[in-house]
Amino acid sequence: MANLRIEHLNKRYGATTVLNDVNLSIGDGEFVVLVGPSGCGKSTLLRMIAGLDGASGGDIHIADKLVNTLAPAERGIAMVFQSYALYPHMNVRKNMTFGLKFTGVPPTERERRVAKAARMLRLEELLERYPRDLSGGQRQRVAIGRAIVREPAVFLFDEPLSNLDAALRVSTRVEIANLHRLLKSTIVYVTHDQVEAMTLADRIVVMNKGCIEQVGKPLDLYYEPANLFVAGFIGSPAMNFFEAEVGGIEGGRARVAGTAFRNFDMPAASLKVGDALTVGVRPEHLVRGGAGPFLAEGIVELVERLGEASFAYLRRVDGRIFVAEVRGRQTPAPGETVTLVAASPDVHVFDALGLRVAT
Amino acid sequence: MPEPLSNITVQMPRAKLAGLLLFFLGPAVAIYSLFSIYPLVATMALSTYTSDPSGARSFVGLANFETLLGDALWSKPFWNALGNNLIFFAVHMCVQNPIGIALAGLLSLPGVRLKGFYRTVMFLPTMLSVVIVGFSWNLILSPLWGVAAGALKAVGLGSLFAPWLGLESSALVTLSLMSVWQFVGIPMMLIYAALLNIPEELIDAARVDGLGQFRIFFHIKLPLVLPTISLVSVLTFVANFNAFDLIYSVKGALAGPNFTTDILGTFFYRTFFGNQLQLGNPTMGAAVATVMFFIILLGLCLYLFLVQRRIRRYAF
Repeated sequence: MANLRIEHLNKRYGATTVLNDVNLSIGDGEFVVLVGPSGCGKSTLLRMIAGLDGASGGDIHIADKLVNTLAPAERGIAMVFQSYALYPHMNVRKNMTFGLKFTGVPPTERERRVAKAARMLRLEELLERYPRDLSGGQRQRVAIGRAIVREPAVFLFDEPLSNLDAALRVSTRVEIANLHRLLKSTIVYVTHDQVEAMTLADRIVVMNKGCIEQVGKPLDLYYEPANLFVAGFIGSPAMNFFEAEVGGIEGGRARVAGTAFRNFDMPAASLKVGDALTVGVRPEHLVRGGAGPFLAEGIVELVERLGEASFAYLRRVDGRIFVAEVRGRQTPAPGETVTLVAASPDVHVFDALGLRVAT
Repeated sequence: MPEPLSNITVQMPRAKLAGLLLFFLGPAVAIYSLFSIYPLVATMALSTYTSDPSGARSFVGLANFETLLGDALWSKPFWNALGNNLIFFAVHMCVQNPIGIALAGLLSLPGVRLKGFYRTVMFLPTMLSVVIVGFSWNLILSPLWGVAAGALKAVGLGSLFAPWLGLESSALVTLSLMSVWQFVGIPMMLIYAALLNIPEELIDAARVDGLGQFRIFFHIKLPLVLPTISLVSVLTFVANFNAFDLIYSVKGALAGPNFTTDILGTFFYRTFFGNQLQLGNPTMGAAVATVMFFIILLGLCLYLFLVQRRIRRYAF
């Protein structure tokens, strides 16, 4: 168990910057998920924490110890890889003890740890089998077991579920969450899947183009995205955005004016007349016949029925498409004009730089 | 009746199916039969004949083989050539293949610069003609005008120089090493390709497990490329027991000094075509060729049944 501190971390390959001044502090026992689109630098960051890739600048501290120059095995980390990376020529038991042999763990202790991990992960029956005889889910558990026996200060997971099928992904996700509850260890987990991020994380780190966009609890990210990128990335289907500008300021209230929705007022704060704005509303917050400042009209183009909800794709006045979630059996028909309203806490306004403005 | 493999072939008229088979399999079967199977069978048949001075041939059964293995005049050079051939093979296995593996291991290390350059340079001799290689080394090692003596003297090792190619004790090993120098690129390339096949994440996992590059090579990479190493061994075996050109171009058909570099290839050549005072004897030559064929066949069978079955290929 340990904390992890990353300060001014940079990574460049020639002229390309992969990570740009990343700062992150992870507490003891915290489950942190790094999430972002592919190429955002999240896997590189994880590999740099592991010591598999070197940094171009900046410091990494694990358990308050500077580990910049330490080899992966000396950092007190264990890593679970996307492809499981089990040694194909060793059985499950050897896969788990192999690393311990080289770090000077005595044989009896090795056996004790393997037995403990095998019990925890239900691997007892599989210890003498070879990776080729295991299913994807079993291999994944062995890979996790191999990490556990190292008794690391920090666990690193690199997209561990992306090679599993959908059903197994859900059950393994639950297992990882249970494991974290049991081991109370610090975990850094990389994924591009926001459902994994939302369900597993104590805190989510949203990354984009080598920078951290926002760090926060899953629901904070959902309800109070710090900027346009996070607003668009978290949530499915993605948040609807409407272009707007400050139409006028009167008595400390700014008028948000746009073509595709009814104008509404919000606290002016530092806004000036003519400032460009973006209004964001999630599909699930748009309701028919509700009350709230935000009101938009659209002609239904298509309805996707998922069962517990349906998604209506609507054409706005300016010709673009936005999405609204419709609950219940009564779904609007294509061609119908629908008026949708969103309540005040669910209407997000972003300034010209894409940063959130308090509404 | 066995399950038909495909409905298409079942529904096809017989004549059309036969035509299709002929079209796809015919060329390969014809070429293979003409250039591989027919010569082999013809050689074996020829080895059961003998010819009298007039040139007329008569069937003698296995008499040629009795002569070859029983008559001291034939059996002594035969066993000498076989023994030399085994030494030739042993040098390749002990020097060429380990060096090839080591070079491949070095090339596959992360962060090696000019990989392509080294790879090409080390593979270059393989593409040279054996005659050129033999001639060049002959010149290099010549005690009269070769550069080897001078080069050794320049680094203070002049006393080590000897006319290696001319000494009975060292000629065979010297020739073997020349062949190793030429062909080391082949094991290197094959094993290098196999090493590239090992996923990067597996190496990363070993690094996280605390292994250095040296241990990663011996504990992870080497066991995973064992199938390729055994393939290389078979290729080496077949090539070595069919070797002829290097000895012939450096030492001539007499494989001197005093037959110490005589291998099965050169022995066969003298028997079949004759050399200087020895008259060519096609029927005895065919017997030698048949024995060579069975030696290689035996080696391959041993390999297939004892080694190949125990080696597992890993899918990553």
